[in-house]
Amino acid sequence: MSDNTLNNQDVKRKQLTKKDLRKSWIRWMTFSHSCYNYERMQSLGFAHSMCPIINKLYDKKEDKAAALKRHLAFFNTEPNVGTMVHGITIAMEEERANGVEISDEAINSVKTGLMGPLAGIGDTITQGVITPILLALGIGIAKDGNLMGPILYTVLISAIIIWISYTLWMRGYKLGKSAVEQILGEGIFNNVIEGAGILGCTVIGALTGKYVTLSTSVVMKMGEGQVALQADLFDKIMPGLLPLLLTLGVYKLLEKGKSPIKIMLYIILIGAVGSLIKIF
Amino acid sequence: MQISIFQAILIGLVYYLGNATWLIGIGYYTMYRPLVNGFFVGLILGNPVLGTMIGATINLMYLGFISAGGALPGDPCLAGTLGTAIAIASGIEPEAALALAVPIGLLGTLIWFAKMTVNAFFVHKADQYAEEGNTKGIAFMNIVPPQIFLFIITFFPVFFAALYGPTAIKSAIDFLGTNVLNSLIVIGGMMPALGIAMNLKAIFKGDNRIFYFLGFLLTVYLKLDIIAVGLFGVVLTLIYMKLKKGGSEVVR
Repeated sequence: MSDNTLNNQDVKRKQLTKKDLRKSWIRWMTFSHSCYNYERMQSLGFAHSMCPIINKLYDKKEDKAAALKRHLAFFNTEPNVGTMVHGITIAMEEERANGVEISDEAINSVKTGLMGPLAGIGDTITQGVITPILLALGIGIAKDGNLMGPILYTVLISAIIIWISYTLWMRGYKLGKSAVEQILGEGIFNNVIEGAGILGCTVIGALTGKYVTLSTSVVMKMGEGQVALQADLFDKIMPGLLPLLLTLGVYKLLEKGKSPIKIMLYIILIGAVGSLIKIF
Repeated sequence: MQISIFQAILIGLVYYLGNATWLIGIGYYTMYRPLVNGFFVGLILGNPVLGTMIGATINLMYLGFISAGGALPGDPCLAGTLGTAIAIASGIEPEAALALAVPIGLLGTLIWFAKMTVNAFFVHKADQYAEEGNTKGIAFMNIVPPQIFLFIITFFPVFFAALYGPTAIKSAIDFLGTNVLNSLIVIGGMMPALGIAMNLKAIFKGDNRIFYFLGFLLTVYLKLDIIAVGLFGVVLTLIYMKLKKGGSEVVR
């Protein structure tokens, strides 16, 4: 009798559809940071995103409760590249619901093991290079009042972020844990970061030349003649010299571990004093 | 100009939306950025072109903005919305607006801190729903209480600041005279160096560094605009990556 019921359960395999995955993804995409907090970071966002999956996979109340508790544990990653974790987790939950022995610890350790590396990679890719590059382009267009700046930026960044998030979510589900670890090892991400870093540096260099402004109004008397430091010297040799030196100087201070807020105060002080005594 | 109550409400909503959860995950990349919220604040105040210019200028400071692990170095959304509103209403230059917006952005970290602290309370409530296996309760706890709390701490400060801020700033500048305005413009011109340097910290490494100087030289000598440099940059990056790969194959 009991054997029979077991067999019945085996026959009715619980299969997630693409629609279930999408439902779960859109919940994560929308609400991942809705209840972001210092104690458990994105834990509630993660649990919320798993709700459609849990409802589909588990019928008994205890099983649902166990799954929800499992996914309310501390979780924090970059929300778009990190979606691979969700894909893998869903695949593991599906296995588990179909009777495969997968412990709470196994699921939890996969989540915590991958969220860190993916957060590092993801923050570099989305916040470190893609956003600044597109922002730089948008600012370049918008600075003189062209409305296409913000509009173009919004369209491009939205398309890219949604594409990354959705693709990696589905990839994670399909490939599973070992394959993702392999991808991390192969360094595909590293190639993307390297290429984007080069492009980023080029564009950021252009921004320095265009939008950091600093010029001196110092005029030096040399015998009969006068030399205006800015117009006669800097503008002749290298027009953006002072902005370049300023930017590299600030970079050096940041490298040395000075806090941005302190540097900001220095800039305010130097700018205020410099303009009052007519150096700038 | 005077910001009306209705306009102040809309500006408050822009700030809430930039922080809220409703823009399917891309709010943080769009409405949160001064380039975008400056445009919307400009639209609300009847001058989207000026709003866009001011927003773009303020955004230079937050180019290297990275929020990682819940730490927030300033609040670009507050700097963008309030900075743009105050600049348009009191008629100051974009560069001066940037110098004013950055300290405002620092105040925004208080709002962030309040949110990150109070939200933990809602997670404990969610724990109780989890015990019952109640997925609807989990969804409710993730959305409704934190978003109501967020609305309270984001909308009202910006509403009042938009309503009363411009008059205060304008009278302060009138009182202090044009010297102060000049200083603000100088500071505002220098400030993007910090935003850029913060971004450089993430990507100014190895061979990348040459390309930073290339981008700089292309603008100061050839006067190319950012888009042109960006497109050259794409081509150069592809060539560089190809050569580097080919090189290592030969060595092998």
